[in-house]
Amino acid sequence: MKEAPLTSSIDPGGHVDPITLAVVRGAFETAQREMTLTMQRTGRSSVLTISRDFSNAIFNGTPEMLVQGQDLPIHLGSLILATKSVAEYFADDVRPGDVFFHNDPAYDGSHIADWCMYKPVYFDDDIVFWTVSKGHMADAGGPVPGSYNPDAREIYAEGLRIPPIRIVDEGRERSDILNMLVTNTRTRRNQAGDLRAQQGAVNVGERYLRTILEKYGKEEVKACASELLDLAERQMRSRLTSLPDGTYSGGRMVEDIGHGLGDKEIKVRITVDGARLRVCLEAPPQIPFYTNSYRANTTSGVYLGLVMFLRPDPPYNEGMYRPIEIDYGPPGTMVNAREPAPHVACTTCPSETITDAVRDTLNTAYPSHAVAGWGHCSAVNVSGIDPRDGQEYVHMMVSCLMCGAGAVGGAMDGWHAIGPQAGLGGATCGDMELLEYHYPLLVKRYTLTTDSGNPGEWRGGCGVTHEVEAIGHKMTAVVWGEGRKYPASSVLGGGSEQIERRVGRVEVVRHESKVETIGANTVLTLAPGEVFITRSAGGGGVGDPFRRDPQKVLGDVLDCHVSIQAARAEYGVAIDPETMTVCVDQTNALRVACEKRI
Amino acid sequence: MTYRLGIDTGGTFTDLILMDRDGRVELFKTPSTPHDPPEAIRHGIDLVSRSLGIETSEFLGECDLIIHGTTVALNALIQLKGAKTGLFCTRGHEDSLEIRLGHKEDGHRYDFLFEPAVMLVPRRHRVPVSERVTSDGSIRTPLDEDDIYRGIELFKRDGVEAVGVCFLWSFRNPDHERRVGEILSREMPDANVTLSVDLLPQIREYTRVSTVAVNAFIGPILTRYIDSIESLLRDLGYSNPIRYVQSNGGLTSGRVLAVKAVAALNSGPAAGPSASLFFSSSLGKSEILTLDVGGTSSDISLIHDGRVDLVKDVDIARYRIGLPLVNVVSIGAGGGSIAWIDPQGILHVGPQSAEAIPGPACYGLGGKQATVTDSLVVLGYLSQESLLGGELPISSEAAQAVVRERIGRRLNLSDARAALGIFSVVNANMVSGIRAVSVERGYDPRDFVLVAGGGAAAAHAGRLAQELGIHRVLVPKVASGLCAFGEVIADVKHSYLASYTSSLPLLDPDHLNRLFGELEDQGRRDLAEEGFSSDEIVIERSVDMKYVDQVHECSVPIPVFQIDRDRVARLADAFHTRHEALYTYCERDNTPELINVEVTVYGRSPRVAIPSEGAPAAECCHMMPAQEREAYFAEYGEYRKTRVFDGLKLRQGHWIEGPAIIEEPTTTIVAFPSSSIKLLRSDLYVIEIEGAR
Repeated sequence: MKEAPLTSSIDPGGHVDPITLAVVRGAFETAQREMTLTMQRTGRSSVLTISRDFSNAIFNGTPEMLVQGQDLPIHLGSLILATKSVAEYFADDVRPGDVFFHNDPAYDGSHIADWCMYKPVYFDDDIVFWTVSKGHMADAGGPVPGSYNPDAREIYAEGLRIPPIRIVDEGRERSDILNMLVTNTRTRRNQAGDLRAQQGAVNVGERYLRTILEKYGKEEVKACASELLDLAERQMRSRLTSLPDGTYSGGRMVEDIGHGLGDKEIKVRITVDGARLRVCLEAPPQIPFYTNSYRANTTSGVYLGLVMFLRPDPPYNEGMYRPIEIDYGPPGTMVNAREPAPHVACTTCPSETITDAVRDTLNTAYPSHAVAGWGHCSAVNVSGIDPRDGQEYVHMMVSCLMCGAGAVGGAMDGWHAIGPQAGLGGATCGDMELLEYHYPLLVKRYTLTTDSGNPGEWRGGCGVTHEVEAIGHKMTAVVWGEGRKYPASSVLGGGSEQIERRVGRVEVVRHESKVETIGANTVLTLAPGEVFITRSAGGGGVGDPFRRDPQKVLGDVLDCHVSIQAARAEYGVAIDPETMTVCVDQTNALRVACEKRI
Repeated sequence: MTYRLGIDTGGTFTDLILMDRDGRVELFKTPSTPHDPPEAIRHGIDLVSRSLGIETSEFLGECDLIIHGTTVALNALIQLKGAKTGLFCTRGHEDSLEIRLGHKEDGHRYDFLFEPAVMLVPRRHRVPVSERVTSDGSIRTPLDEDDIYRGIELFKRDGVEAVGVCFLWSFRNPDHERRVGEILSREMPDANVTLSVDLLPQIREYTRVSTVAVNAFIGPILTRYIDSIESLLRDLGYSNPIRYVQSNGGLTSGRVLAVKAVAALNSGPAAGPSASLFFSSSLGKSEILTLDVGGTSSDISLIHDGRVDLVKDVDIARYRIGLPLVNVVSIGAGGGSIAWIDPQGILHVGPQSAEAIPGPACYGLGGKQATVTDSLVVLGYLSQESLLGGELPISSEAAQAVVRERIGRRLNLSDARAALGIFSVVNANMVSGIRAVSVERGYDPRDFVLVAGGGAAAAHAGRLAQELGIHRVLVPKVASGLCAFGEVIADVKHSYLASYTSSLPLLDPDHLNRLFGELEDQGRRDLAEEGFSSDEIVIERSVDMKYVDQVHECSVPIPVFQIDRDRVARLADAFHTRHEALYTYCERDNTPELINVEVTVYGRSPRVAIPSEGAPAAECCHMMPAQEREAYFAEYGEYRKTRVFDGLKLRQGHWIEGPAIIEEPTTTIVAFPSSSIKLLRSDLYVIEIEGAR
């Protein structure tokens, strides 16, 4: 692909002062960063503070997203729709000092576990900004701790659904409403603190934005904001223009992880037309299982696929998406769900599949720019009564989600254990000692899995093997996610037939070493001393692994990322186990034989 | 005392500060010799001796103390030129170092070409060991010594020079780590060994293992360096103590530093705050921001209530460090930072730098990029002819040409506006850095005085103060050697950590008193060994606290007193207050919890006399300006004739209304419109901002 032209998009002597623009841009980013710091440092639930499963954003008055910062892409795409929905809902009924709240996917929330706050930032009687914070709560109520209920046939069975509401009324906190919210959750004590951290975040963002407004003046700052949006749009348009026009089709399977209805294919048709791009989605009707995605979450998935492939330069904001049109297809499908579709798994499944389908379709259309997919999330949430203090705990084991990243063609191998694709490395597994300190569990193993990265000239990153023992109590283990059947997307000859080590896996080791492999998403109980083992999927590879530099393969073997056997079988590299060096002749022979075979 | 000598080896210059018994200081600068740092030190000592008119050996014979700040450890880490290192880990946790908490650094979320960090200890040298201590300190799996011996065999075969040991929960029960230490001292007596329980006995396994790995990786390099410095100085005839600056801002001996190499990472910049504290004492201020602007970066730090703000658990050069270090935020904004325009047409400055070679275009050494220094020349803030007292010729034409070509043409701006753009953007980056150490840590910058250090800060500081609402800026005459000066007056300082987790209602005051007592005794013993008498020792305490259901703690300083139940309540108050300052709210009905206990001991260096303040202000018109030149200020939107004073001719108490420029041999100070500048003491200027609170 051509690089975007360097100067054509510059607007010489444009309507904003370039100096102010450069300064204000940095200030917006600082304001967003300060919000995130506040959440991370003061939140309570480990899912926020250890795992960083939250996102903050700044919108202009319209509202359009001005800063897509370093938080999780899966949250940010959907916030673009959600903030508009909430602003529209309250319309003229918005006053200085208000803070709004919501989680409902029917109002463009992502899933009900993600609780959002929206604060209008007033200046001279005018809403100039919105500061917005979205956080994944440890629990959103409903019958299953953590709210990933594999038996829910409707959204009503998943947890508490909250349409847009006002939680701070002209500066007065509505404690009755907040109390109602947390009363519906199992971890209300933590969650009250989490909500306070979110309020802290939207206030901290407002505090700095007001300083910027005071310094540069409202009109100048608004002009800068709209110029930043235009810049991102112009850049995206020039990227799209550099792609040859055409219509391309592709699709990817969502695994049947327990509903018994079989694998479901999500299809996309992408049309590149000059400086515009249109994504048409086609998916089966929604199913009575939590892998349906409402519109806003689907939007995140599509945007992420486009961003992974197009790799635009900063600034990152809503302007990037102006040239993009999404046709979600008719309502009532797995990608355009309507109530009462259950949906809680959607932020990974099917959003990972949507992202893959979009990105892989573009990969096939423009192979020179190919980038492989990340492993899909397969995980466990744990809960129970902590025997140390008798309190109920719920913890989403984000540490299970540390998948391998996809390789980037011509450039680099995938990162190991970098997290869900939906977070692009923004989420973290947390410190194992902190996990043992906060929860009644023991981490027997947390290591990279040898041979989990999919082979390629550019190799996928490794996933992790995580062994966790329930200590002194009965532990509820909620198994969710997918990626246990299909490995991450590899491209241009990358990947392997040998997928066993590359896909996700969940096992339970019962007493007397009886091992159960868990295929479907389900809710399990572990007796004290029993263990669950999760293996996260590795990343996809790019290019023929037989073209990978044998010395790199040797390095992978020495560092346990690839086994000696796999080096030989999948990379055509023979390594002498005694000297741990590459046998050049054998390697050449293996590689020549392979060429002949082709 | 006759002389004290501070030697600060930076990337571009090695600064030497000579202080005599009356507290008079003189700054010497000599180019650094990165291939062989001692060479520049030898040369610098020659310079000093010559200026005193005596032989080197005679000068060193009259020196009581030499203090050294070095970037050797940091460079070894950044350039990955450390020792071959091995690591023993709890089996099942041998990959923590590589998993890195599963996080990709912020700032690179959408950068798909950002490479993972290089492993200081690759998997082949991370040896899993069967053993397990649990969170309550009990032993679940005994240590399998065979694993250790097998590992040692591997290490010997592969020429491993340094070995780290980090087991889970070792700070609750160090037996296994200690046993490995014993075996190593017997089997690999020459290896540089780091036990996590010695280095960082606190919760967070990833932080511990990473800190241990870094310490082992750079330990042998630093040890060799310290040996080379000490033998050099001995050979030159010096026999008194040599001390080194640590990342916590205090000094220590080479012997201590060699086993705690990670404490040398920030060695240079960490000394800046001590100097700032000294200069601010005239104003009676103990709320101080320090901005030290060099060629490639700006180092920013904060002092609150006379105490330097420290952080823990942060990344240095992509590697997590758990030891407390001076919170120096380093941003890629220096005199040599390059201005560039991104594909979207937005102007940026740095972090790329023109470095010392070729340097800014105006140095005429082949620089073709527009740098911050070039913009200062175009704006008329810096001399159009020469800097460094005439030693560094300046080409204003070259500066103008690059600013025009690289920036002005492409943004359709005049030369002056393009230069102003560069100046404004780099200032905005510095403002963001100052916010990072202040606002983001719960401090309001308007309550602070700003101290400008490094050769380049004094041209920016006045403007930054206006941007941030800061009332006063201090510019020492030795600004250019601020860190070396800080080294000369710094105290010896050691930090001791222990882990004690307890919610406040359940806290056992006796246990806490005992812990503090033990750490303090250890501190006193260490300082006594370094020659300090008890009346030269000062002790500070702090605790890390959080709400019981929170994960991240914050550090709360507390006075040294016997702790009883009443005082535990005061501990809670101090924590609520700190939390509110940091995050806009606190929860008085929630339960605070203690996590870590920390003691800092200081061995006081002899105090330095502070030069007295000058006579009442003289009128500005009483002085003859040395010259005038055209300078451009945003307020006027045009070039205006601006007075330029020779700092050496100003007398104490003189004050000048801005706009004005003062040229000192090693720095240039700009007083912007709506501010004034005064020579407060013989060694110190103050810029006062009008209208600031």
